[in-house]
Amino acid sequence: MIKVENLDITFGGGAQRVHAVRDVSFTVASGESFGLVGESGSGKSTVLRAIAGLTPGWRGTMTVAGQTLSQRRDRAFHKQLQMVFQDPYGSLHPRHTVNDILKEPLVIHRMDDDERRILRALDEVGLGPAYRFRYPHQLSGGQRQRIAIARALILDPKIVLLDEPTSALDVSVQAEILNLLSRLAREHDLTYIMVSHDLAIVAHLCSRIAVMNRGAFIEKMSDEQLRTGTPEHGYTRQLLVASKGYDRAAIDQFVEFD
Amino acid sequence: MDKPLLNVENLSVSFDTPKGVVEAVRGISFQVGQERLGIVGESGSGKSQTGRAILGLTLGRVEADRIEFDGINLHKAPARTIRAIRGRRISMIMQDPRYSLNPVMTVGWQIAEAYRVHTNATKREAKQHTLDMLATVRIREPEKVYGLYPHQVSGGMGQRIMIAMMLIPGPDLIIADEPTSALDVTVQLQVLAILDDMVRDRGMGLIFISHDLHLVSSFCDRILVMYGGQIMEVLEAGALDQAEHPYTKGLLNCLPDIDRQQGTLPVLRRDDAWMNRKGGAGGDVP
Amino acid sequence: MTDQPTETGLKEWLLSDTPQSVAQARCQRLYLAWLSFSANPIAMLGLTIIVVLVGMAAAAPLLTGGDGTEQALANRLQPPSIAHWFGTDELGRDIYDRIVWGARITLYIVGLVAIIVVPIGLLVGTVAGYVGGWVDIILMRVTDIFLAFPRLILALAFVAVLGPGLENAVLAIALTTWSPFARISRAETLTIRNAEHILAARVQGASTARIIVHHVTPLCLSSVIVRLTLDMAGIILVAAGLGFLGLGAQPPLPEWGAMISTGRQYMLDQWWVATIPGLAILIVSMGFNLLGDGLRDVLDPRSGGTS
Repeated sequence: MIKVENLDITFGGGAQRVHAVRDVSFTVASGESFGLVGESGSGKSTVLRAIAGLTPGWRGTMTVAGQTLSQRRDRAFHKQLQMVFQDPYGSLHPRHTVNDILKEPLVIHRMDDDERRILRALDEVGLGPAYRFRYPHQLSGGQRQRIAIARALILDPKIVLLDEPTSALDVSVQAEILNLLSRLAREHDLTYIMVSHDLAIVAHLCSRIAVMNRGAFIEKMSDEQLRTGTPEHGYTRQLLVASKGYDRAAIDQFVEFD
Repeated sequence: MDKPLLNVENLSVSFDTPKGVVEAVRGISFQVGQERLGIVGESGSGKSQTGRAILGLTLGRVEADRIEFDGINLHKAPARTIRAIRGRRISMIMQDPRYSLNPVMTVGWQIAEAYRVHTNATKREAKQHTLDMLATVRIREPEKVYGLYPHQVSGGMGQRIMIAMMLIPGPDLIIADEPTSALDVTVQLQVLAILDDMVRDRGMGLIFISHDLHLVSSFCDRILVMYGGQIMEVLEAGALDQAEHPYTKGLLNCLPDIDRQQGTLPVLRRDDAWMNRKGGAGGDVP
Repeated sequence: MTDQPTETGLKEWLLSDTPQSVAQARCQRLYLAWLSFSANPIAMLGLTIIVVLVGMAAAAPLLTGGDGTEQALANRLQPPSIAHWFGTDELGRDIYDRIVWGARITLYIVGLVAIIVVPIGLLVGTVAGYVGGWVDIILMRVTDIFLAFPRLILALAFVAVLGPGLENAVLAIALTTWSPFARISRAETLTIRNAEHILAARVQGASTARIIVHHVTPLCLSSVIVRLTLDMAGIILVAAGLGFLGLGAQPPLPEWGAMISTGRQYMLDQWWVATIPGLAILIVSMGFNLLGDGLRDVLDPRSGGTS
């Protein structure tokens, strides 16, 4: 479904040059959930945004549903691929009601039948029509993220990119959103690429995982391999140890990976 | 066990909004000794407001029977007394050093100022103390870092600078409000290790406020679980599996566990009955 | 949904958590903004002054005897009295009448300037900020050029070419007032540009034009409105200045600035001829200033205003 080869992205110039993504290659099959894990600055979000068409100036080859991508994306592309962002408040326009937000993609793609589609989208994410005319500040974090997911799904895309969709949410809400994402993937046969810094979340939702550090892939593995604690690279092992909680002795062993 | 450093009785914090009064904290009581006490809760649980109310830094209305620190009732004390205590004897570390450090002054200057304000030391003494402190929080090349501005330091280093600044006057109690939530997980643990060492070496008390139950339980000695402005349960560290309150258990269950494959995560079911338990006591210092 | 809610019903409707329609949602936002605004007494004073101004202008025929242009030379330069509340001017015209009818002119000037500068400023600023690159550079240099023009000189130039008149004065004022609005819009746009909701709009396939109009502009409106109300005072004063120089409203129009100009010569013995219009300008300018301050407190997203 998605094929990325030798993706390379550099920001800025001169002294401010940042080599954000270094020669990254991977494939994602249709209906699969692929996870990108890394700490901040690892380039994981940049990879996602490049696929979505938000970072011009990328180098390499990207193919989505058989079509090779150019620097600009056309409308048909956007109908197939949507994205859910990290900050549930930031990703909804503060002056638009839920109705405006869900209607926007329909208007852009000139689809009719707004009423039915909006109500169905709200229903699918577990929110009733009562929420339709609220403003984002009248919704809780979890509700906002549900709206963001509804917005991503309203065009019936085949691929959804998830950029840390639960990082800004409370733990109890996170579980609900993760369950929702799993269910929607099953019901609509969606392909996910999910970015997160949390190994447990990625292992839960994704079947194949890539670990990134400083713009490059460190290793790729399946969720089983991660779970049974047999990653090959020291960086991944260190991340695993760190995710288990505070262990004074283990912390003294931490090293910097470049 | 010795006398507690801080004794809070029946603390409430409320806010007036156009839609009525919002009670962020509802009559909670707890004590803190020379230990690491964790206050865990989700957003809206009142944990941050509790921390701020102790130092009088909240915009809400604070009511309490007592907030006693070293024999002084902070709730009723005059402003001058509170100013003398704030920073010097009770310190607060906040979440994001990008927002809690003054962006137009060098970090060294800010730490030295924190020292001078509370001890009347000379500029040279303050600078020397600052450099010592930077070395204590394991910053290499303290001389160089002294002259950097906040935007030039990374998140982890910024938080270590924050710790240096808050600990340099030698307080007895630190309130840390989500001090590591903005950091990467390995950096988080490294920063906590520094905090751990300093708290242990200087015999301080630490109130660690966080939303991360696992982290708090592996780092702290005792844990207060808050929900809806009240304390639901008090736990000893490492005794999470003996949690009794359904909220705590629900919270633990809904975390995805990296060690096992779970189909659907159990979802926390909120019970309105939890809100009826008024206040909640945080137990005495053991 | 009831059409005519009762008193308590209305309040509930306005504060309800689940609005049932777009109209209700928008009313709710306005209501909360109003509550915040009306809690500020200074802002309410400003609002009252402006409301009185508008009321005066609207009800001018009802509030006055004539239209302030009838001359009665036998009656000239009379002090304030029961017959003439503000006295009469050098041509025997009732000053009270002229002040009230002059309110229309003041509003006309202010309204016309606003209608011209806000759309131009918003358009230039948002496009420059969002598109960036050469477009930004060129648009901002154009803005700088207009910013550099002193208003009175430009007005003189217009008058020399087009002849004196109120519309020409308004045009001159508008052309020298729109630049700051472009700058404000551009500054806001630069902040918003990389916000996730804008990125989300891009991912949905929205065109640049749609993003600028539907997503960016609504967020710039608050700053622009506040700036506009604060600028109103300046606009009125400039118009008064132009009127004073004879470049704006032409006689016999009761424009307040022109009234001060002609009344200047009688300052010492018949103070009311120049001072009353001066006071009117003062009060209205202050009203706009106070209103602008109050609006800024409510609308400024940084100070945590409503939504």
